[in-house]
Amino acid sequence: MSATLTIARRELSSYFRLPVGWFTIALFLFLCGSVFGLVVLAPGRVASLRAFFGGAGWMLLPVVPAISMRLFSEEMRSGTIEPLITSPAREFSIVLGKFIGAASMLALMLLPTLLYAAVLARVSARPPEPGPLIAGYLSLFLPGVFYLSIGTLCSALTNNQTLAFLATLFILLAIMLASALGPAVAPVALQPVLAWLSFDSRIQDFAKGVIDLRHVVFFLGASILPIILAGAALRARRLG
Amino acid sequence: MLDVRDIHKWYGPFHAVRGVSFSAARGEVVGLLGPNGAGKTTSIRMITGVFPPTRGTITIDGLSISTDPEATRRRIGYLPESAPLYPEMSVTGYLSYRARLFGLSSSERAEAVERALGLTSLEAVQRKRISALSKGFRQRVGLAAAALHRPGLLVLDEPANGLDPTQIRQMRETIRSLAKDACVLLSSHILSEVELTCDRVVVIAAGRVLADGTPAELRARHAPENAILIEISESETTAATIAIRSTAGVAEVESGKLENGWRSLRARLRTSKESGGADQLSLVARSLHDVGVVPRVLTPDAPGLERVFHSLLESSATAEPERAA
Repeated sequence: MSATLTIARRELSSYFRLPVGWFTIALFLFLCGSVFGLVVLAPGRVASLRAFFGGAGWMLLPVVPAISMRLFSEEMRSGTIEPLITSPAREFSIVLGKFIGAASMLALMLLPTLLYAAVLARVSARPPEPGPLIAGYLSLFLPGVFYLSIGTLCSALTNNQTLAFLATLFILLAIMLASALGPAVAPVALQPVLAWLSFDSRIQDFAKGVIDLRHVVFFLGASILPIILAGAALRARRLG
Repeated sequence: MLDVRDIHKWYGPFHAVRGVSFSAARGEVVGLLGPNGAGKTTSIRMITGVFPPTRGTITIDGLSISTDPEATRRRIGYLPESAPLYPEMSVTGYLSYRARLFGLSSSERAEAVERALGLTSLEAVQRKRISALSKGFRQRVGLAAAALHRPGLLVLDEPANGLDPTQIRQMRETIRSLAKDACVLLSSHILSEVELTCDRVVVIAAGRVLADGTPAELRARHAPENAILIEISESETTAATIAIRSTAGVAEVESGKLENGWRSLRARLRTSKESGGADQLSLVARSLHDVGVVPRVLTPDAPGLERVFHSLLESSATAEPERAA
């Protein structure tokens, strides 16, 4: 476990030592700030961040691949993967460490947006309720974690960061589109399966302020498979 | 310490390493010497566990790297070619990260980092970012990271690559001091460097071991020729040449001009596998004395490892690989 946390710590701190980390944060906060300023912060509206969470979900689309693209691709390109895989750390510890580092980065990136809730509380007659606020953040963080697991897998498969970014972006787009449009176009027999698999309905539930433990387990569980596959990819690399 | 037995590596249809075997003991600096593409880096990657050999066994302290990967990795310190590092980290930041990866406790960590910094003379730049360091310093950071957890086996892939002569000398001194309580395996294609740094040399070409021995042994076994170098006054050239040529064991005498009225003579000896030893030297000295010539220089012209190396490469192209150990 200590190797996992060591790797996670290094990964997280490297985002703040590199321009790409700051640029990603700046881009995300700029986009979030625009949605908040233009859509949420309007006179006469109910003090709710629901519109912000809906918009921010789509903003994760370019931001998550930007966070995950470096994880392994950069190590493979620069050769630092060799000292890493010849250390006593196991493949799964390495993958998990990097994934936790990236997920922590996502969490830290969401943190400044709490300011919007504070602003809303100050300017509204009735401050936003904490329940929907927590559910709203989960509606961003949990799918974000799943997207990061896809990004981690893509990064473990190539030494080209651009390719890792694009592959993650396309897979996420495909998942989001399938999740949104699938139930409408699929055969009736498949509808219940697709409904269960749908991200959209779960995200909508969170947006309504419902914190359903099954949804939490669903997103965290869905993240496990790409992480295991990334570990297998690293192992396959080690086995030459 | 390290025992490599008949390792092979295929990359698809390409047979990159073809049955390499050698061993290395603690306190010894062993050089893997060979031209580019000889299979040095592939062999090193198999030894350090980057990937396993397609066939063959590698053991470290009696533990197999395939059945005991974690235990053997703890015993190895590895500096890959061109010392890949995280440029955004500071020198001490990187070293403590590596110490954590190897499971060192916080007190051990501080001591290990301190020791590694001292060993590689990095104290002055310890707080600097790695991206701000010169190539020589980066190479030293890589070496410090490899030696951090006091491994029994240090594997250094081309440690002198891209360094200037002063940096190479410093690197050599550091490697020698590390070898006091570890086994060092290094690869290089720089012959002079191997000759100066290593106790033993394993010559590799086209994925095979061509020779294995100390530089002196290799010179004795694989030198294509031996000679004696003599410097005499120009006026005595003819007499000296005749006298040396008539000495037993001398095959040929070559003459070369030196400055200020001196001349050099190089007596090539007939017995190619024996050194220009004391017997032959005294015979030549006696011949010169008999004709009244006093040389200012009379010394064996021992072949450098370079000539040994080239002769090995040439012979490997035609003959079966030889292992002289």
